[in-house]
Amino acid sequence: MLRRSVVRMATEPATLAAWLRTRSDEQLSALLAARPDVARPAPSDVVALASRLAVPVSVDRALDELDAATLQVLDVVLLEPTDGVPAADLAAALPELPDDVVAAAIETLTTRALLWGDETLRAPDPVRRAVRHPAGLGRFATELRVQLPARLAEVVAELAPEERAVLDRLAGERPVGHLPDSPSDSAGTPARRLLQRGLLARIDALNVELPRELGLLLRGDRPYGAPRLRPEPGVLTRDKGPLDRQAAGAALESVGRISELLTLLEEEPAGLLRSGGVGVRDQKRLARELHVTEPEAAWLLELAYASGLLDVGGPHRDEWLPSRGYDVWREQELPDRWAALAAGWLAGLRLPSLVGQRDVAGKAVNPLSPDLVRHTAPAIRRSTLAVLAEYPAGSGLAPDDLVALLRWRTPRRADRLAPVPAMLAEAGRLGVVVGGVLSTAGRGLLAHGADGAADGMRGLLPEPVDHVLAQPDLSLIAPGPLVSDLADTLAVVADVESSGGATVFRVSEASIRRSLDAGWSAADLHDFFARASRTPVPQALDYLVDDVARQHGRLRVGAIESYVRSDDHGLLSQVLNDKRTGGAELRRLAPGVLISGLGADEVLTVLRTAGYAPAGENPGGAVLTRPPARPRAAGRRPGGEPLPGARPLTPAERGATVREIRAGDAALAARRGEAVRQVPGVTTASTLELLSRAVREGVPVWLGYVDAQGSGSQRVVQPVSLVGGFLQGYDEGRGENRTFAVHRITSVALVEGDDQQAASSGG
Amino acid sequence: MSDGPLIVQSDKTLLLEVDHPLARECRGAIAPFAELERSPEHVHTYRVTPLALWNARAAGHDAEQVVDALVRYSRYPVPNALLVDVADTMDRFGRLTLANDPVHGLVLTTSDRAVLEEVVRSKRVAPMLGARIDEDSVVVHPSERGRLKQALLKIGWPAEDLAGYVDGQAHPIELDQSGWHLRDYQQEAVEGFWAGGSGVVVLPCGAGKTLVGAAAMAEAKATTLILVTNTVAGRQWKRELIARTSLTEEEIGEYSGERKEIRPVTIATYQVITTRRKGEYRHLDLFDAQDWGLIVYDEVHLLPAPIFRLTADLQSRRRLGLTATLVREDGREDDVFSLIGPKRYDAPWRDIEAQGYIAPAECIEVRVSLDDEERMTYAVAEPEERYRIAATAQSKLPVIRRVLERHPDEPSLVIGAYLDQLEELGAALNAPVIQGSTTNKERERLFDAFRTGEIRTLVVSKVANFSIDLPEAAVAVQVSGTFGSRQEEAQRLGRVLRPKADGRQAHFYTVVSRDTLDSEYAAHRQRFLAEQGYAYTIVDAADLAGPGEVNGPGWVDAPAD
Repeated sequence: MLRRSVVRMATEPATLAAWLRTRSDEQLSALLAARPDVARPAPSDVVALASRLAVPVSVDRALDELDAATLQVLDVVLLEPTDGVPAADLAAALPELPDDVVAAAIETLTTRALLWGDETLRAPDPVRRAVRHPAGLGRFATELRVQLPARLAEVVAELAPEERAVLDRLAGERPVGHLPDSPSDSAGTPARRLLQRGLLARIDALNVELPRELGLLLRGDRPYGAPRLRPEPGVLTRDKGPLDRQAAGAALESVGRISELLTLLEEEPAGLLRSGGVGVRDQKRLARELHVTEPEAAWLLELAYASGLLDVGGPHRDEWLPSRGYDVWREQELPDRWAALAAGWLAGLRLPSLVGQRDVAGKAVNPLSPDLVRHTAPAIRRSTLAVLAEYPAGSGLAPDDLVALLRWRTPRRADRLAPVPAMLAEAGRLGVVVGGVLSTAGRGLLAHGADGAADGMRGLLPEPVDHVLAQPDLSLIAPGPLVSDLADTLAVVADVESSGGATVFRVSEASIRRSLDAGWSAADLHDFFARASRTPVPQALDYLVDDVARQHGRLRVGAIESYVRSDDHGLLSQVLNDKRTGGAELRRLAPGVLISGLGADEVLTVLRTAGYAPAGENPGGAVLTRPPARPRAAGRRPGGEPLPGARPLTPAERGATVREIRAGDAALAARRGEAVRQVPGVTTASTLELLSRAVREGVPVWLGYVDAQGSGSQRVVQPVSLVGGFLQGYDEGRGENRTFAVHRITSVALVEGDDQQAASSGG
Repeated sequence: MSDGPLIVQSDKTLLLEVDHPLARECRGAIAPFAELERSPEHVHTYRVTPLALWNARAAGHDAEQVVDALVRYSRYPVPNALLVDVADTMDRFGRLTLANDPVHGLVLTTSDRAVLEEVVRSKRVAPMLGARIDEDSVVVHPSERGRLKQALLKIGWPAEDLAGYVDGQAHPIELDQSGWHLRDYQQEAVEGFWAGGSGVVVLPCGAGKTLVGAAAMAEAKATTLILVTNTVAGRQWKRELIARTSLTEEEIGEYSGERKEIRPVTIATYQVITTRRKGEYRHLDLFDAQDWGLIVYDEVHLLPAPIFRLTADLQSRRRLGLTATLVREDGREDDVFSLIGPKRYDAPWRDIEAQGYIAPAECIEVRVSLDDEERMTYAVAEPEERYRIAATAQSKLPVIRRVLERHPDEPSLVIGAYLDQLEELGAALNAPVIQGSTTNKERERLFDAFRTGEIRTLVVSKVANFSIDLPEAAVAVQVSGTFGSRQEEAQRLGRVLRPKADGRQAHFYTVVSRDTLDSEYAAHRQRFLAEQGYAYTIVDAADLAGPGEVNGPGWVDAPAD
C-alpha cells in the first residue's frame, strides 16, 4: 500500500498551480463558490488563481468558515514533519473521528484548496502561516529558543502537582498563557518555576508558550487533542399551539410598546447627542413614562430605529422623531406591523445589547449611538437562527447548546459569538424564538422575510377594536388593540394608565383641558365619549367635561405693543371714533383700555398730532415726564455665572500621564537604527520589512504611532507578531500588551544595543 | 385565540370583564394569586404582585396552576416574559423554611445552599440569625421569627413558616346561633382564616366583621386578646360577643384607659397599649398576661407602628386581622401581610350588597360655589390654610340643610373634621355634636337616642369614623375630611351601609367647594368609591332637587315615549 502511494506520488503534480490544473471544471467552480473572494476580478490563469489563493486575508476567511472537525483534520497535515500526508493515513491519525467525517473534511479542504494533492495531501505555505497553533500545540523548542531537559518524561513525572496542572492546561486548546501578575514573589508561582526549568518559553514579558515536544508528550496517545466531534445537544420540543400563542404574546407586547414609544417621541422628541444617539436623560424619561427598565427602553429605541420607524429629524436635524415610515406602519394590520419590526431586527447592523456597556474610555454607550454598528451583526443573527431552523418545526436548542454548536461550526470565529445569547434574548422578546424554539412566524421570517413573518402571525393576533368601555372611575378600557384613528383621539383626551392586550386610559381634568386646548369643544367631547363607549357614559365623566370646559379660557393671553388707558370712558370713545387717530390702529380691549399693535411712541405721536394730550407711562404705571430713552438692546446682566472649576485629575489619569511621559522619554533616548517613516494610512513595504525583521529577530522597535483618537506617541515595543496588518507586542514603557495597526505607524526604527536596557528600565 | 374574560396587561394587571359568562369562574381561578385592585362597574382590575404569588404558594398553589389560569382565561396571547417572571417569582418561595427542630428549637433551613449563603451574608438578615448548625440550616431565636420573616420578604426570599402555632390556654367558646346564622361569606372567611393559620379578612363595613371574629374564637376555643381602636368600639365588641356567643359578661375583660381587667377574653385599645411613660411601653405585660390562643386585630389598616413591632414577637400565636380596606395611607400593607398574615378572604363590596347583606348606597357629590368674599379669602390664604378655608366655607350650610331636607324622615349623620365647623353646624341644625372630648357615657346616651329615633340628626367628628354602630343611619353628609383619605372615605361610607330593616337605599353625600382644594380631594375619593363599584353622581348645589321635585328623592323617571 505504502509502495503504491509512493509510486503514485511520483506522478502527482508538484505544485499547487499544477494540481489546480488537474482539477475538473466542476471542482474549480466549487472552489470559486467556496472562496468567492478569489474570483473577483477573474484571475487570468491558474498561476494567478494560485497566488490569489495564497493571499493571507483570503486564507483566513476560508479557514474561518471551517468547523472544528475539519480543522482538526487539517491540523494532522500541518503537524506532520514532512510536507505531504497520504490521505489514507488521516483516518488512522484520528481514530476517534468517524471515517465519514474525516472523508468529508478532506473533501471540504481540498475543494477550498486549503490542502492540495489527490493521494498525498499537502498544505500550502499561507495555510501553515495562518494556523498559528496547529492542534493547539506550541512551536518547537528550538524555534522558541529553549533547551528542554534531556530526559523530558522523567522530569515531567517528577513535577509538583500545581506545576503539572499548569502544563496540562497549556497542553489543552491554547499553548500560550499569561504569567500571573505577581512580580514581587515571582519565583514562587508554578509558571515561573517552570520557566526556570526551561519547560516553558517566554515569548514576551507577560506570555509564555509551551514547546510542542512537551505538549505532545503530555497528550500521550492523542497528539491532536480530544476528537472534535459535532456536539449533539438535547433537543427541546414544544407543541405548536402554545408555542405560537406565546410568540404572539411577545409580538403583541413588542408592537404595543413600540407604538407607545413613538407616541411619546411624537409629543416630545429625544435630543440627538453630538456623538450621535440618545442621551441618558431621554432614555430615563422614556423608561419612566413607559414603565419599563432603562435597558428595555434602549432596546425599544434600537428596535424602532432598526425597523425604520424612528430617525433623526426636526428643523435643525437634532432630534429623534418618528419617521414617515411610522405613519404607514401604524395604519397596517398587526401581523404586518410585527413583521416590519422582526425583519428590521434581523437585518439590523447594530447590536442593541451593547447599550450601557463601557467603551475604552470608560464611557457608557448610549442607545442609537453609532458605536453600536457591527457589520457582522446580520450575518451572525441569521446564522444563529439558521441553526434552529435546521431542526424540525416545534423543536430547537437551549441557548447554551446553540452557542456550543456554533462554536464547533466556526471555532476560529468564536470571538464573534459573544453577542449570540443577547441576540437570542432579543429574538425571544420579539416572539421569533420561544424558549429556544423558532415560532412559525420566526421560520417564516427566515425563509420568506417580512411577508413570511406576517403570514406566520396571522390569525394569532387580536383584531383591532373600535370601541372602549367607559367606567364610573373615569377610566376607559379598550379591550384590545385600537383602530388607529380612535387610538389617536384617545391619546389626546385621555392618558394611558396600563397597556398590553388591552389599554386602560384615564380621563382627568388635565387630559380634558388638553383636548380643549387642541380645539375640541365640550359638545365634541360628549359626542365622542357617547360614540366611542359601548357602556353608558358615566355621569361623572360628563360632569367633568362640562366643569373643565366652564373654566377653560376664562383667562385670555395675547401680545400687544402698547395701550391707551383712561378713567374717562367718554374720552376713550372719542379717541376711538376720531378719524385722525386711525393711524394708531386702536381697538377697545375692555372699558377704559384701548390697545394697539404699534409701539408706544408712535401712538403718542399720532394722538398728539390729533390734538390730544396723552402722557407716556412706564410699566409700573408712573407717568413718564422725560422723553423715552434712546433705544438700546436688552443686554446681558453683568456678572454672569461663574466658570465651572477644572475637574481634578483622578489618580489613575495621573498615573497614565506619567507613564506616557516616561515611555516617550525612553523612546527618544533609545539609540535607534535608521528610521523608516511613512504617512499614516499608507503602509510602505519598508515599514513592513523592518517590522517583520524585528519580529523574527526578537528585537525591540521604536515606534511613532498615532492612535484611534488621533493623538501621537512614541513607544518602544517588543514585537511578538505581525499578522493581518496588526503588530502585536509588549509596550515596555507602558507595561502592557497591545496591538498596533500598521497603517497608524508613522515611523519605525530598530532599537540597538545597550539602550534597550535603558528603555526597559525607564518603564 | 380564545374569547376569555381576562386581559393580561404588561404591567401585570389583569382586567376581568365582569359581564362575561366565565367571569365568576375566572375570578375564582385568579383570586388566589392576584389582588383585587379596583372593582368598578364593567371591568375589574387585579394585580399580580410577588407577595400575592408567594401567598398563593403558601396556600398550596404552584406556578403551573397560576400560568394555566392566566393562559386559559386570557383573551389574548400572554407574553411569555410575564409567565416566566411569574414562575421565577413563585420559585423563590419555599427555598427557605422556618421549622421547629427537636434539638435546636426554631431553625431556618434551605433546600438551596446558595440562597442560604446569600441570606446569611445579607446585612439586614444576619443579625437575626444564630449559630450555623450545618451547611443547610441555621438557628433562629424564637423572638426574631416575625422580624426575620419580614426581612426575608424584603430581600425577596420569603420563608415558608412551618413552625406552627401554640394552642394557647383552652377556654370554651361557642357561637350561640339562635335566631340568626353565620352568613355564607362569613363562614367562608372563617374557614379561609383557620385553614391558613393566620391572616387578614377583608369585608366591607356593615358586613359583620365582628361575627367573623367571634366565629374564629369559637373555632380556636382558647383565650383571646382583641385589639380595637377605641373604647366605644371595645364596648360594642363586648356587647356583640355576649349576644352571639356562649361568653358571659364575667369572661370578658376591658383593658382601656379607664379599666384594666384581664379575663379569658380581653379587649384592649390600641391607645392604651401604645401609651408610653418615660419612653417605655407600660402595658406590654398584657401580651404575656395570658397564654393567648388567638389575637384579633380590629381595623387592621389603622394598626399603629409600635403594635407592628410588638406583633413581630407574637408569631407563634394565631393572628386574625379584620378590616374593610387594606389601603393604608402610609403604604405599609406589606408589613400587615408579613406580620399578621396574608389576606385570607375578601369579597367585592358590590357582591355582598347584591346578596342583600349591606345596604345599597348612592354616592352624591354636591358642588357648592363659594361667594365672592370666600373666594377672595381662599385666594389669598396661606397654602396650609387653604383646605380648611375651603372645607369650612359658610356657603355649605344652606346646602347641607337642603340635603337633610331631602330626607326628612331618615336618621342622618353630618360628618366633619373641623370642630368649630361642627359646633356651628350643630347650632344651625339644632343637632347634638359628638367629638373627641365627649365622654363615653354621653356618647352612648346620644347613640341610644339616635337608635330609638329620638334624635334624627347627629353631627360627628372624626371620632365616629371607626367602629360605632349606628344601625339605622341612612344618610351621611360629609362636609370636611382628612385630605382626601381613601381609607376615611371607606369608613364613613360604612356608617350608612348597615342593612336597613326595609332594605331601602342609603345616601352618602359629600358637600365640596367648587374650584378649590376641597374639590381636588373629592376627586380622589370619587375615584376610590367608583373603583369600589359605587354609582357616583356629581350635582351642582343649585340643581339639588328637593323631595317630590323632578329628579329629587323618590322621583321615578317617566318611561320615555
